[in-house]
Amino acid sequence: MIEALPIFLDALSFVLILVLVASGLVIVFGMMGIINLAHGELFLLGAYTVVVAQGLGAPFWLAAALAPLVVGLAGLAIELLLVRFVVHRPLDTILATWGLSIAIKQIVVLAFGPGSHSVAVPIDGAISVGGFTYPAYRIVLMVVATAVIAGAGYVLVRTRMGLLARAVIARPDTSANLGINTGRVTQVSFAVGAGLAGLAGALVAPLISVDPQMGLGFLVPAFLAILVGGAGSMTGLVAGGSLVGGLDSLLGGWVSPVLAQITVFVLAILVIRLRPGGLFPGRGRRP
Amino acid sequence: MLEFNNIQAGYGQLPVLRGVSLAIEKGTVLALMGRNGMGKTTLCKACNGLLETTAGSMRVDGEDVTGMPAFKIARRGLATVPQGRDVFEDFTVDENLCLGGPVPGAIYDWFPALAPLRHRMAGTLSGGEQQMVAIGRALARKPKVLLLDEPSEGLQPSVIHEMGVVLRRVVDDVGLTILLVEQHIELVQALAGSVAFLANGVIAEQVPVAVLSDTLNDAEGPVHRHLCI
Repeated sequence: MIEALPIFLDALSFVLILVLVASGLVIVFGMMGIINLAHGELFLLGAYTVVVAQGLGAPFWLAAALAPLVVGLAGLAIELLLVRFVVHRPLDTILATWGLSIAIKQIVVLAFGPGSHSVAVPIDGAISVGGFTYPAYRIVLMVVATAVIAGAGYVLVRTRMGLLARAVIARPDTSANLGINTGRVTQVSFAVGAGLAGLAGALVAPLISVDPQMGLGFLVPAFLAILVGGAGSMTGLVAGGSLVGGLDSLLGGWVSPVLAQITVFVLAILVIRLRPGGLFPGRGRRP
Repeated sequence: MLEFNNIQAGYGQLPVLRGVSLAIEKGTVLALMGRNGMGKTTLCKACNGLLETTAGSMRVDGEDVTGMPAFKIARRGLATVPQGRDVFEDFTVDENLCLGGPVPGAIYDWFPALAPLRHRMAGTLSGGEQQMVAIGRALARKPKVLLLDEPSEGLQPSVIHEMGVVLRRVVDDVGLTILLVEQHIELVQALAGSVAFLANGVIAEQVPVAVLSDTLNDAEGPVHRHLCI
C-alpha cells in the first residue's frame, strides 16, 4: 500500500497540473466554443515570463503572480486583434490560432533561442510521508492548483461576473438584449482563460524544461480531458483530467509511456463514442 | 414611445423589410400580425439591434438608436422577450431574473407562481413558467418599451389567458409601451389597442383592435385579408 503512494501522488500531481492547464481551455474552448490551438503557447508564455522575471532578479512567486497578468494581457490582445474576426468561422479559427501558435513559438525562438531553460525549484526539500519522501514543491503545487481550480469554479458558478460570463457564453444574443456588453464579457473571459494558462505555465516551469515546444505536450491532453469530461463545466474538466491524466500517469508506471498513451487515447475515443457530450455534458455556446 | 421610420433590413442580398414605418405611443400596446415569412421576427431583430438595418431610423423614448449595438439599445430602455423564450436552462429562476440587474419585488407580485420556484433550474419549468421567467427577466430591467415576439407560442390556452391578464396589469401599473408580435387573436384582443399588419416587408394596414374584433368573421376583414392564405 505504502509502495503505491508515490505512484498515486505522481498521478495526482499530473492530473492537477493537467486540469490547471485545461482550466483556461475549458472557458475558451469548452464554454465559448473557440478552438484555440495557441492555448499551449499561452502556457509556454507563462513559463517564459518566469524565466524573464527571474532573470531580472524577481523571486519565483512574484514571477508566478506576474505570469497570469502578462499572459492575460496577451490573451486580451489576441481576442481583440484576431479571434473576434474569425470566431464565427470554426475552420478559420483553427487556422488562425494554429498560425498564431507557430508565430509565438518562432518569436520565442528568436528571443530566447531554441534550447531549453530551467527554472529553479522555489521550495527545496522533501516532505516525509509514511516512510518515503516526496518533493515539497510538488505538494505545494498540488495545493495551489486545487485552490486555483476551486477558485475558478467558484467565480464561474457563484459570482455575478461568472453568471454574466456563462450567460454570454450560452446565449450571446439574448444576453445583449438584456443590456450585457457581450463583446466586453467575451474579451474578459478569453483573457481570464489565457491568464489561467499562463499561471499553469509559470507553476509548472520548475518541474519541466522550459523550451519553445513545451506547449504542445499539454495542449493535446488538455483538449482530450475536456472532450472526455464534457465541454462547458469544471466538474467535467476534473473528471476528464482525472481519467486522461490519471490513467496516463498510472499506466506509465507499468508499461511503456507510448503504450500508456495509446491506451488512454483508445479509452478516450471509446468514451467520446459512447457519450458524445462527455462524462458530464455542460452547456457551451449554442448556435 | 417606439418609432420606426422607413426601416429596411434583410439577410445578405435578400431584403425582408422594405420600408417599415410605425409609431407606438407611450403606454399603449400595438400588435403586429402577418403571415409567416412576412418579416415580423426580422422587424423584432432590427428593432432590438440583433440585425443591422440598411436604411431608415428608429427611436426609443424619443432617442435615436439607429445602428446602436443590441446591448446599448437595451440600456436605452428596450427589453425583448424573444420567440422561443430563450431562458437560461442551467440558471435558477432568480439567476435568470437578475441577469438584467437587481430583481424588483414587483416581478414576484406580477408572477406570484414564480416565487416558490425561484431556486429551481429554469430548464425544469413548464413552458408557461418559462415564459413568465422570460417576461419577468425583461421587466426586471424596468424598460420603457417591451418587445414581445410570439409570447403565446407553444402554450396552452389557459396559460395564454393568464399571461394576457398579467401583461394587462403590468401595462396599467407602469404605463409600459409594448410591441406585441403575435398570431393569437384572443391575446391581441386582450392586450392591444391597435393592430398593424405586415405584408411583404411593409405595414399594409393598421386598424384599432375594435375593428379587428368586429370583422373577425368578415371575409373582407383585415384578418382574412392579411392572415388567411
